[in-house]
Parts: sequence; C-alpha cells; structure tokens
Amino acid sequence: MIIRSAAVFGFNEYSQQIARYVRNVYQDFALFVMTQEEEKAAHQAGFLVELVDLSDDWSRIEQHFDVKSLIVFCALANDSENVFLTISLRSQFDKLNIVALAQDNESASKMKSAGANKVLPSLQIVSNVISDMLEKPIVTKVLHEVLYEDGSLNITEIEVPKHSSFVGRYMHDIHFKSEYDVILLAVVDHEMGTTFSFASKGLNHHIDPYDIFVVMGYQDKLDALKLAVKKHHAR
Amino acid sequence: MFGRWVVSLAFFLHSSTTYRHIKNTTYNLLENSNYPYKRYFDFVMIALIFLSVYILIRQVKHEMSLNWLFFNNYIISLIFFIEYLLRLWIYSDSTKMVIDQYEHDLFLHRPFSLGKSIKTIFKHKLEFILSPAAMVDLLAIMPFFHEFRLLRVFILFRVLKLFRYAKSLRRLISILASKKFELLTLSVFAMIIITVSSVLIYVMEAHNPASKINTLFDAVYWSVVTIFTVGYGDFVPVTHEGRVVAMVIIVAGIAVISFATSIIVSAFTEKLDEIKEEKLIDDVSKLEAFYLICGYSSLTHEVIHRLKKMYKHIVILEKDPYKAKEAQSEGLIVLNADPSSLHTYQITNIQFEKQVIAVILLEDSDVANIYTALTIRELNKKVPLFSILHHHENAKKLSLAGIDEMVNPHHLVGLMSKRISNQPITFEVIHALRSGHGGTVIEEIILDDGMSQRFFDLLLHPLFHQRLSMLGIYQNSTQTFAFNPQPNYEIRAGDVAIVVANRALCSEFRDLLHRKKIKQ
Repeated sequence: MIIRSAAVFGFNEYSQQIARYVRNVYQDFALFVMTQEEEKAAHQAGFLVELVDLSDDWSRIEQHFDVKSLIVFCALANDSENVFLTISLRSQFDKLNIVALAQDNESASKMKSAGANKVLPSLQIVSNVISDMLEKPIVTKVLHEVLYEDGSLNITEIEVPKHSSFVGRYMHDIHFKSEYDVILLAVVDHEMGTTFSFASKGLNHHIDPYDIFVVMGYQDKLDALKLAVKKHHAR
Repeated sequence: MFGRWVVSLAFFLHSSTTYRHIKNTTYNLLENSNYPYKRYFDFVMIALIFLSVYILIRQVKHEMSLNWLFFNNYIISLIFFIEYLLRLWIYSDSTKMVIDQYEHDLFLHRPFSLGKSIKTIFKHKLEFILSPAAMVDLLAIMPFFHEFRLLRVFILFRVLKLFRYAKSLRRLISILASKKFELLTLSVFAMIIITVSSVLIYVMEAHNPASKINTLFDAVYWSVVTIFTVGYGDFVPVTHEGRVVAMVIIVAGIAVISFATSIIVSAFTEKLDEIKEEKLIDDVSKLEAFYLICGYSSLTHEVIHRLKKMYKHIVILEKDPYKAKEAQSEGLIVLNADPSSLHTYQITNIQFEKQVIAVILLEDSDVANIYTALTIRELNKKVPLFSILHHHENAKKLSLAGIDEMVNPHHLVGLMSKRISNQPITFEVIHALRSGHGGTVIEEIILDDGMSQRFFDLLLHPLFHQRLSMLGIYQNSTQTFAFNPQPNYEIRAGDVAIVVANRALCSEFRDLLHRKKIKQ
C-alpha cells in the first residue's frame, strides 16, 4: 500500500523536526497535540494543529485520513504516554503504519510490544552516529550525504514487478556494477517475508516477483535500473 | 668586586638555556612524578637500597668480597651523596635570589649586599637540610664512614629513602600526617603512662630480691612491653603493689592501642576518596590514547557502550558527584571534576596532544558545552572536538567555540523519519550495516600510493568476488567520493575505500591488500 498521508503526535523539538521533514513528502499531513499549551506553542511556531486526547475516540483520524495509506509518528515527550498512544492506535487500527519515538532501548522494546511497526530509539541513534563519527568518519560522512542530502548519489528500493524480465534470473547473472553502474546492497526475498539479506553474503538468490532490491548509485543510473526492472518478459 | 662577579655569574646562569635545561631535567628526574624517565631513576635507586640492605644482612654471617664491600661503602654512598647535593641544588633558585637582591639594592640606590644574598640562600638551603626527608638522605650516606661500626646500622636509613621513590609509601606518610595532632596527643598520653608506671613499678619492685626488675631501665622496658600488650613475661611483678600497677597499665594499654587504631583507621577512611582519586589520575596519566567525554548522562552511557565494543579507552569528566559515583559503579574511569575548569586539566595532568584522540562534549546544555569547548581550546587548538547540539539555533555558537563536529538529536530523528517513511528497508539496511548486527559491516580501508592494481585485482579474487562490495573511494586530498570507480582509477596515499562485507572478510581483505603477493 502506498503511503499518501502522515500524522505526527505531540509537540516538542522531536515532533517539530519530524513534521518539518515529513509534511512536504505526503499529500496530506496533520499535527496532533494533546494539550492546549502545546496547541498554543505550535501555533506560535507556525504549525496548524489539531487537539486530541488519549481516549478511545479516534473518529477525527478516520474522518481526516484513509487509515490504510496513513503513517503515524508517535512523538510525545513522555515515553509512557507514547507507549499508551501507540497501543491505543494499534487497538483501533490493525493495518496502521506506526513509527514511535523512544528515549532508550527499554522504552523501545515496550513500543514494539505495543504494536509500533518501527521504533526510533533516540539515544541509541545519536550514540551510534557519535561513535561512527569517531571511528568511521568517512563512512559516516558519505552515508549522511547519500541518505539525507539532496545529492545525485542515492540509495533506493526497487520492487521487482510480477512480469519483470528479472524474474526467474539468478542474482549473479545480473551485473549490477558493470552493466548498470549501481551497487546492490541487499535483497528482500518476497517469499521469505519482509526481512532482507545483504548481497555481500554471496548467495546466488533466485529472483521472484515482488522481491525488493536495495541499491546505491547515481540517480540517473538508479532510474535506468528501475526502468530495466519494470521491463516485461519478452514472450 | 667579588659581589659584582657574583651578580654577573648569577645573570649569566639565569639567562643560560643550557643551565636552565640541566636544572629542569634534574628537577624532573628527582621530583616530577609525571616525568617519564623518573620511574627508571626510582627503580635504580630502589635497587641500590635493596642491594645495600642485602649486603648488610649477608655480612653478618658470611664473608663478603672486598669488591662488594667497596661498592656498598663507597659507590652507593657516593651515588646517594650526589643525589643529596642535586636535591639541595634544585630546592631553591639561588641565582634568582642574588638577582632579586641586586635589583632591590639598585632600586634603592644602595650598594649590592652580598651578605644578605648569601643569608637568603643559606636560609632556603637550611630549610631543605632540616627537612625530615633530607635528614634521612643524609643519614643514608653515613655508612660511607663504615670504619665506625655503629654507623653501619645507618644503612637501614637507606630503607627509609624508599619513601622518596615509592608513591604509595609517600601517600601513607601523608595520611598519617593528617592526624598529626591526634597521634601527638596519644604519644603524650602513652609517655605519661609509661613514665608513671615505670617509676611506680621501680619503687614497688626494685627492693624485692625475688623481682627481676632491679633498675629503672628494667622498669621502663617492662612498662613499654606491657602497655603495648606484648607481655614477653621475662620481667614480671612479684609484689601485690607491683601487680596492681600491672593491672592498671594493662587497662591503659588497651586504651592506647584502641585509640591508635581508631586514629589510623579514621585517617584512612577520611582520605579514601582522595586516595582513589589520586590513583585514578595516575591510571589516566598512564593511558596512551583515550576518548575524553565531558558529562555523564544516559547518552554518555550509550556512547560508551558503543565505543567499548571497539576496545577504546574512555575517560569521563563529571562535576556532579552523584553522577560521577553512578558512572564509577558501572566500572568506568570517571574523574569527579568540572570539565569547564582549567584547574581540572592542571590537576589531572591530561596531555591533549599525546593522549586524547578526541573530546566528546555531552553535557546537559549548549551553554555548558560551549564553556567547556572554550576551556579545552585554550589548552589545545588541535584536539578534535565533538559535541551534542541541544538547540539547532546554537549551532553557530558551538562552531565559534571551536567545536569541529556536532550532532543534533532532533534534526537527526527528523531526517531519519523522512527516510523511514519513504524507504523503510533502506533505513533498516543502513542501520544494520552501522550496528554490525548479523556480521555484515561497512568499513573504511586506508589505501596507499601504487596500490591500484593490487586493490582492483584483489576485488576479483574468488574469496572476495560477490562477497565484498566496494562502494567507492574517498579522496582525502579533494574530499570527494568516487562511487564505484573503474580499475584504471588512480589511488593516492591517504585515500579511503568504503567496503561492505562480513567483518572477518573485511579484515582478511585489509591484510591481503598490504601483503605483496596474492595467491590465486
């Protein structure tokens, strides 16, 4: 399901940054706050917000969005409230895509248990970046540019369509580097679920429909590969 | 005339870099515990002391060769004597005293008073001569006059010299010195008891033919042996009166011993934190390379957890004693000191250029981090400074304070949220590569001139082909990243290749790259 709308819960420095980066990506966006103080502060910061509470009345969400194509960011300042928000949303919407923010690993595991699809443990993320900057400064710099800056080098996910010419071939028969000038980092085997395996494991994977390639390359080369993958079998 | 000559000599020595250098080196060797060569000097002196004592013991029942005796009596004594003179020399700056006196007299339009200068110099030198440590030094030279048999015993004073060379012994003395008043009171009390009881027992026992206590010395000896609860039993009171005295002195003895024990124990307890801190500073000064983290918080805990996996030494500076204690309980090296104070770096003697790989500022506020950064930059301009950025609007201020790299958690989470909502699998892949879970890692490999052929050949080696992905080469000179370079790419010294592979395979690739021949 293609995600078309996003909602962020909470008003603090984290949620403001999430809102800033996410609101332009989706057709529909909303920022929900829990208190009137938050509402006031958000207005002053230039955000349009809606006031909600943690009761079981989620009708405003259903009115506002198509829940099936919605991604929700639970970014309340308090971890316990964030867990409660996550579990409340999950109990109401089975298929909702929930990303929850946690201060530490302990809260992160609780949010996973509460039903979050993805948890962002802020302390762990920051500590990883700091230690990478110290130990692998060049890797950190290059990855940061590739992932978060609008350079021509990018990493993207390419799904293999049902009738793609790639279906039925083996991974080692496709020369990603020499033919397409991209590097295959990982593959998600559709038959095996949503987990990925690194290309550098050396497995000669049989490509099936709906497998996903995670590839790195210049945007034009990635676009060329996307086109090649979309190309149908010659019958 | 002579005075003028002395002043000229003083000015000459004062301005001579060679003289200053020799005096500084001597001072470092004898007194500066942070001087790297001091420990070797101390080891030699300790060895000489033990050798000297060994010869004294061996001499009692065995014949020693003349060479050994000559070495013990003359060579060791001469070495100690030279050391004594050097200590006397470095104790005060005589040239400066002469110059000060000369300038003082000149200012007041008086003729230079050599006598006053000599008096000041002598006063300072006497201060050294009369210090307990110098007295021990002097007594340790006495065995030089070995013809006087009694003076041989002075060799044992050499053992006391160990206090000069062993830090732990010096620490013991300083702890006991902190209870000087209490120990003095106890000594006076013990002396009064010994004097009174000695006189009493002498009066009670000396006239009795059955008693062995016949002289005042016997009485004092008995009192000392009894009051310190030893009681050999070679002298015992036989009269009723004498036994009454014995009972009183036994009770007093218990009081003296318990009083002494409690004084010493309390001295150690009071100084325990100080001792631990000193030991910690010693340990830190011995570390060759470490990361210095300023501020302890849950973020610090996480950062340390990651860095420890890479087998790195970490030293934390935390001013809050409760937080410092918490970090210490985690088994970390924590100095309870304010990282923003220059004094902290003076007492901890942290050598930024030699020891610190990078400083990481993880204090609770941008204000504190900026203040600490400025302190560190005052001490060292080059050490890499990393900091957490709490509020985005302060980024420029942190940069002005000399911080090289900063991480804003809110900004980072915002960026990640965008990526995670767009491409969740990419996010997972990169996160897995960075954390190294599952064994696949992203690594940097430093390259050298003329390595191109070998590097690209090795990538096609069956061991690495399809199992090691080379993402690109980062050219340090131009700070550009060449993605997926072709085999004709010219590698330069300092370039860095970024590869993705199993951790063991990365390490094997690195090893093989630096070997000359590649087995196909």
